[in-house]
Amino acid sequence: MKDYIRYSILCLFTLLLLPATANIIVVQSGGKISSIRSAIAQANAGDTIRVKAGTYREGNILITKPLVLIGEGKPVVDGEHKVEVFTVEAEHVTIEGFQITNSGVSSMKDLAGIGSLQGNFLVVRNNEFIATFFGVHISNAKHVIVEGNTFRASLRADHETGNGIHLWQCANATIRNNTINGHRDGIYFEFVTNSLISGNTSEKNNRYGLHFMFSHDDEYRDNIFRNNGAGVAVMYTKNVTMVNNIFDRNWGPTAYGLLLKDIRDSHIIGNRFDRNTIAIYMEGSSRSEFKKNTFVGNGWAVKLQASCDDNTFSENNFTSNTFDLSTNGTMVLNKIDRNYWDKYQGYDLNKDGVGDVPFRPVNMYAMVVERIPTAVLLWRSFLVFLLDRAEKVFPAVTPENLKDDYPSMKPYDLS
Amino acid sequence: MKRIATFIALAALIGLSSACNVEPEAIRYGTDNCHSCKMTLMDKRFGAEVVTAKGKIYKFDDVNCLMSFVNSPEVTSRDMKYTLVTDFSQPEKLIDATIAFYVKSPEIKSPMASQVAAFETEEAYKQHKKELNGIYLTWGELTAQFK
Repeated sequence: MKDYIRYSILCLFTLLLLPATANIIVVQSGGKISSIRSAIAQANAGDTIRVKAGTYREGNILITKPLVLIGEGKPVVDGEHKVEVFTVEAEHVTIEGFQITNSGVSSMKDLAGIGSLQGNFLVVRNNEFIATFFGVHISNAKHVIVEGNTFRASLRADHETGNGIHLWQCANATIRNNTINGHRDGIYFEFVTNSLISGNTSEKNNRYGLHFMFSHDDEYRDNIFRNNGAGVAVMYTKNVTMVNNIFDRNWGPTAYGLLLKDIRDSHIIGNRFDRNTIAIYMEGSSRSEFKKNTFVGNGWAVKLQASCDDNTFSENNFTSNTFDLSTNGTMVLNKIDRNYWDKYQGYDLNKDGVGDVPFRPVNMYAMVVERIPTAVLLWRSFLVFLLDRAEKVFPAVTPENLKDDYPSMKPYDLS
Repeated sequence: MKRIATFIALAALIGLSSACNVEPEAIRYGTDNCHSCKMTLMDKRFGAEVVTAKGKIYKFDDVNCLMSFVNSPEVTSRDMKYTLVTDFSQPEKLIDATIAFYVKSPEIKSPMASQVAAFETEEAYKQHKKELNGIYLTWGELTAQFK
């Protein structure tokens, strides 16, 4: 018994002393310790390794104990197109201030700049990832932070770029203030819950700026998604909050600003959709709220497929879009109220700021193009103008009940 | 007279060639979208295609997207002239889906999380089955499982 108590006290002391006794190991080419690998081999759990500027070519660097790695003066760690640069197999690891470059490329393995199979409390901060296949690839981890990094994939064929930040089966992750450029998906979440993505810029990625699959209860805010194959795709997911993001110039024959496929109970608030082919395309989605968003200069502002129900659109601004709203059926199961539409031609006799006649955002031509895409050629022709006027008087193809009963006379101030 | 004969021959040729046009086409990765999930096809180890008797082509990024289409009222099995999947071990190669060998394993990270890879030959499937620690499935089992 006495031994047991003594042992416990000893343990307690070692635990208390651990941070205080953590050593600092300095790595410098030409110094006493010249490789990161040997520094890791010598280090005890909890130690800090400071790596001085220089280029380190050491193959795959495996981290198997809790360590803090800090680069001073952006040391370059080069994978020489062969290996995963850092592989983390421990908890409480921090990697900060490096330039990580030239990871291997493999169609069978997901090689990354920093890969981790199960490392809770991993921190990846202020690194530069250049020409890595995947940038950061994290599986099965909780409480990870990826912040302040830049990712720049080299211009290779599509299949030779992995995702910038890739999380699989993680929870409580924070992805903050990163810049991602030229990957397959900028940020990819598969089975990731209770996480936050904020302040990132994701552009020129081959597929999506941000991609959610089966990832519930997450939030993304204040990000910029520009010039991607498509801005953001949220799929097979529930309870996602999307606030104050910018979806800019996601343009091309299959490009969306925001693709919503089979999602529910989500909030899309205060976002700006600027010059996208289709700002929001939604299918099989329900019970979501679209509020205070700005749609400017898009081909289609919203493509609301008939498979969607119970969504509400209110207090949004729709200006200079070719089509404000289009749908592929006549069922009206969504609520559209109190939005501002620049195409509204009604009047406000009682001066309450609300138009006195309803606005029908779906025009006949949008319905025709939905069925026969090539008919878009006739857009702005006189014939179409006549048909549109006729349709306004006797609705035949447009869903009659799809209307905004209280259109705002003035745009909302959403800046 | 000769002219008319040439004309008829030409017309017949055009008619014939359009009748022969019901053929699969290669998937354009990075451009084509999956008919079911709307995602852009990216991963050349996965991908599937259906060609109908009328020559309409549908593309898919994963076996489960193909399955949801096969099981949907959009198409009947009689309409389907070709049903193709990509051989996992020979990226981009389309093979007959109904006689392919399938392996299901959590190790397989397919675009829509079906965890299924297809193989053309028995050797390839055996090798990968061991490597990926998966189970073997036939087309019939697959269609039943994803119903």
